[in-house]
Amino acid sequence: MTVSFRNLAARRETGVAVLLGLTVAVVAGLNPAFVSGANIRDMLVQCAPAAIVGCGLTFVLLTGEIDISLGSMMGFLAAVMGLATSSQYGNLPAPAGIAITLAAGTAIGLLNGVLVSVGRVPSIIVTLGMLTALRGLTELIMGGKWISGIPPGLRYLGTGTVIGVPISIWVAAVTVVLAWLFARETPAGRRIYALGSNPKAAVLAGLSPTRIKLFVFALTGFLVAVATLVGTTQLSVIESGIGVGFEMVVVTSVVVGGASINGGKGTILGMLLGVILLGIVRTVLIFLNLGETSVYWERAIQGAFILVAVLMDHLASRRKSAEVPT
Amino acid sequence: MKALFRRYPHEWILVGLLTGLLLAAWRLDPPFVSVGTQAELSTHIWEMALLTVPMTLIIITAGIDLSVGATMALCAVVLGMTFERGTPVAVASLLAILTGLACGFLNGVFVAKVRVHPLIVTLATMSAYRGIAEGLSLAKPVSGFPASFAFIGRGEWHGISVPGLIVALAMLAAWVVLNRSVLGRFLFAIGHNETASRFSGVPVDRIKLLLYSLAGTSAGLAAVMFVSRRNTAKADIATGMELDVVTAVVLGGASLFGGRGRIVGTLLGVLLIHETREYVSWRWQNDELILVVIGALLIVSVLVNTLLTRRQAVS
Repeated sequence: MTVSFRNLAARRETGVAVLLGLTVAVVAGLNPAFVSGANIRDMLVQCAPAAIVGCGLTFVLLTGEIDISLGSMMGFLAAVMGLATSSQYGNLPAPAGIAITLAAGTAIGLLNGVLVSVGRVPSIIVTLGMLTALRGLTELIMGGKWISGIPPGLRYLGTGTVIGVPISIWVAAVTVVLAWLFARETPAGRRIYALGSNPKAAVLAGLSPTRIKLFVFALTGFLVAVATLVGTTQLSVIESGIGVGFEMVVVTSVVVGGASINGGKGTILGMLLGVILLGIVRTVLIFLNLGETSVYWERAIQGAFILVAVLMDHLASRRKSAEVPT
Repeated sequence: MKALFRRYPHEWILVGLLTGLLLAAWRLDPPFVSVGTQAELSTHIWEMALLTVPMTLIIITAGIDLSVGATMALCAVVLGMTFERGTPVAVASLLAILTGLACGFLNGVFVAKVRVHPLIVTLATMSAYRGIAEGLSLAKPVSGFPASFAFIGRGEWHGISVPGLIVALAMLAAWVVLNRSVLGRFLFAIGHNETASRFSGVPVDRIKLLLYSLAGTSAGLAAVMFVSRRNTAKADIATGMELDVVTAVVLGGASLFGGRGRIVGTLLGVLLIHETREYVSWRWQNDELILVVIGALLIVSVLVNTLLTRRQAVS
């Protein structure tokens, strides 16, 4: 693959990277504290859960499916983790709690996958149903109470640091690198792209859509569990509202990063850039000192970012298609 | 009878489920099935029922609109803020509906002209419209609307509920469009094969622009009904409304891949969700259980429908 300037300019990753770079440069110019070590760390910690889950969702989108149950899944897994390990409930040791959470996440993801690939129910329906049902189930098993008494071993995942860097950032970094390598360098990763780009050709070439879809949904469930372990243990209590709206954050980030919901298109790098771009909006608003009311505009700006990203794509592709002689 | 069943398998499943639910409810809690109770509970669904009408049309064309709840919130905020600044409530309501039209038109432009997948467009505008509603109102509620304004949301006209009448008219109009008009045929054509429709001269872009504008306008009207009934306008109203609406339409048998959907099915979907929700909350006073039941209902009904149609195709 040759890297030409035009090639680079036409890619969504470049557009998002430029937008991100400009945003950071402008805000840092106005308020240098924005790029202080402490603030960068805080912003990355905020982005970590979405980056971890984004890896799984990128693969789901690549196969042409979607998963919007992520937020409720996170809430449910946090409740499971809390009930298993809290000193007032299960009182299991931290490693057992971690194992149970990861197993539960994988199982729910697998259930999504079975309904989609074996039951042939459209993934948007399955995960929409799960989004509703799991939120209700979370509130049922928590009985309207907050869970406290999370063991220190688990709290360490959310609050601890290794060489001065929070564990959630380490986990997100390792997940992103592994996912990037998996997507680019392994046969399994290429099969996912193949299935999404041309499902019929993939089946004729001997790939099993059922197995690939089971895998990507189970992987996403597993990664939601990972994100839950490092993302919801920062606070000392677990409440039933954890993860509300999280699915929208992840889906929009991945889409801003260039993934197509028709499948076959999307990269881990684009996902990461999208997650960071949307994740820093609130912090940017605070550092711009526009007054305390400005954070109310966070969602409006996030929505505008997506529209700008798709508009840029539209204009770029129109210019490109105009160049092609007909 | 058999032919009728063959022709509308999904509708019969819904009628069966609804009858079963009401019979069980009648056996266990007779007061729940009385006319008085049902009339009282019916006020909870008018906005949702109204929005399922344009949503059915959009889903038939293989589109979706996730921004209806956010549009409703933005329209409610416009209504509240213009009223607060001394605009007569009738004018404020009109402004709210126009805001809905503008929101829907923007969705339509992105879907039809920019050709972005409607799921992405309306996911973006869902954030954007809700965000603008929050930003404009700073999340503060407005109340104190005149008593006469309540007519739209909970008034009666010759003994018929006004919002109920609005919903009934909307459903009737949609039924006529879908079953007795060229436009209706075009909607199914677009849903089945958009490219072929374009080549056949169906004005696909204009129709999509119209449909999304219609959804926005309906959201504006729903916002007026909601504010009128609750006497309060706030940026967080109708959160999750889009999921309820899509669930009802899909439960009603419409396919998200387009080309399939009926107004009668949608009506049954709305009724089934409504009765399930109200009965679970009546009997167990448990809002959490409702979510589990409705989520499961959605997946199971589509699963059963898929299995049935697959077997039919094989035989």
